[in-house]
Amino acid sequence: MTILACRHVGKVWPGPNGTSVAALRDIDLSVENGEFVAILGPSGCGKSTLLELIAGLEPLSFGRITLDGKPVLGPAPGVVMVFQEHSLFPWLSVKDNVGFGLAMKKVPKPVREARVAQLLERVRLSKFTVHRPHQLSGGMKQRVAIARALVESPDFIMMDEPFAALDFQTRVLMQHFLLEVWLEFKPTIIFVTHHIDEAVLLADRVVVMSAGPGRIIEEVRIDLPRPRRMTDPGFNDYRARLTETLEREVMRAHAEDDGLAVSNAA
Amino acid sequence: MSDRTGTLESVGVAVAATTPRSAVPSWAWGVFKALIPWAVVITIWETAAASGWNGSVLFPPPSAFLSYAIESDFRVGFGGDAMPIPVAIIVSALRVLVGLAIGFAAAVATGILISASGAFSDMVMPLVRGLAPIAPIAWIPLGIVLFGIGNPTAIFVVFMGVYFILTISTVASVKAVDPRLIKTARSFGASKTQIWTRVIFPAVLPHVFTMLRINFFAAWMAVLAAEMVGVKNGLGMMIILGREMFNTKLILLGMCMVGATGYAVDVLLVQIQRRILWWERAP
Repeated sequence: MTILACRHVGKVWPGPNGTSVAALRDIDLSVENGEFVAILGPSGCGKSTLLELIAGLEPLSFGRITLDGKPVLGPAPGVVMVFQEHSLFPWLSVKDNVGFGLAMKKVPKPVREARVAQLLERVRLSKFTVHRPHQLSGGMKQRVAIARALVESPDFIMMDEPFAALDFQTRVLMQHFLLEVWLEFKPTIIFVTHHIDEAVLLADRVVVMSAGPGRIIEEVRIDLPRPRRMTDPGFNDYRARLTETLEREVMRAHAEDDGLAVSNAA
Repeated sequence: MSDRTGTLESVGVAVAATTPRSAVPSWAWGVFKALIPWAVVITIWETAAASGWNGSVLFPPPSAFLSYAIESDFRVGFGGDAMPIPVAIIVSALRVLVGLAIGFAAAVATGILISASGAFSDMVMPLVRGLAPIAPIAWIPLGIVLFGIGNPTAIFVVFMGVYFILTISTVASVKAVDPRLIKTARSFGASKTQIWTRVIFPAVLPHVFTMLRINFFAAWMAVLAAEMVGVKNGLGMMIILGREMFNTKLILLGMCMVGATGYAVDVLLVQIQRRILWWERAP
């Protein structure tokens, strides 16, 4: 069953001196219920913008986005977002960060605390409930951010390069952790990354975007059994194919920039 | 993963346990180092006075003005106007603290209102920016005209001295709130009001408090000036009384108390910042 449908979605940002900058153009994307989709693309290709549109944090310029058949008009319950590091509220303890969404919805305190304790247990942070974000490592902070999302019992989680700021080992641990959580709760996940390996390792399907304005240039279904490892046979074929697509795209964008520079100079 | 997390945690414990511990606690070292320059200045001063330096009449050393305090039974002034020195300190410190507290609360409230409403901002910001450059001391005459001689004037001067600057600081801090925090709050279903009260308000407090600390010194000076020209008690009065009686020991004793009290209030403000507004490191 399709949970998310984007049709001809476009986004234009206001630029300097009354100009406008096209961030996204003609995005068509369908996501099935419980699917894990990775969006892969170079920096500045509008991946984050697309997530913000789906999350209802920014209005669309063109097209239509529906979640569960209903058009997206604002932040919807059951749809949560996990950003890169530094999105925890620094003035709240770990448990208050995790309980933030429930507190906003005026969930009674005993219910909230029980639910928060349960999730902190799940992300193995029970010993750190009263710690403050600045006392945690990068990986622990991201586990808090994931717990904060899961406490909402979301149907849909959007993750904007959640592990980009982590070192390699922590990132590998977090990827395994995310897969565990996904297999357990089966939410739909859209995961934005610029790591090809991460996309192939995690996703059912990888959507490749081009730069400025962002368009979808390729969709690849990853037919590898789980749990996957980067050393699995077949992993390299996907990696090679995606690398080639991305490289071609980066070179094309680069050539276009050069062309632009030349025509400006002339 | 739990195994590896466990390893990471035990590494943290091991690092904490092997932190070198010397016989002297680090805070004692800090105090010792801070005292060295004082000791040097006072030694030179005392030595000069003891070896017959002429200037010591106008510039009596600590041994002279501190013993003067003991001789005069820690009281200054005559008859009904006489005031114990500890009372003078408390009176001056309370005036500045009350003024700062009211100024801080009012400025944060005004700054948030200005940030929340474009029309209100267009109306009020030019007024605030026109009044902010007026030095706290310049408000003293108006304070005396409005409130007469006494505490309200001193508090008014401190308030006017910090309110406008802190309002501008609040507006600037609201603009600087990390947009990711606001987006996160919105994606978790926070309403517009909740974003102001639960995200923007706590996010700006430490910044505005830092500005309060920076402006405390100007406010402190203004309170003393007000006490000198009109309010007629507190530490400012102590210094001006010394001048009127040509008692340099009293002047220097007053200056010493002004410095010590100002320092103590600043330490108090830093402690408030560390303990209550701990999420941004106090500079």
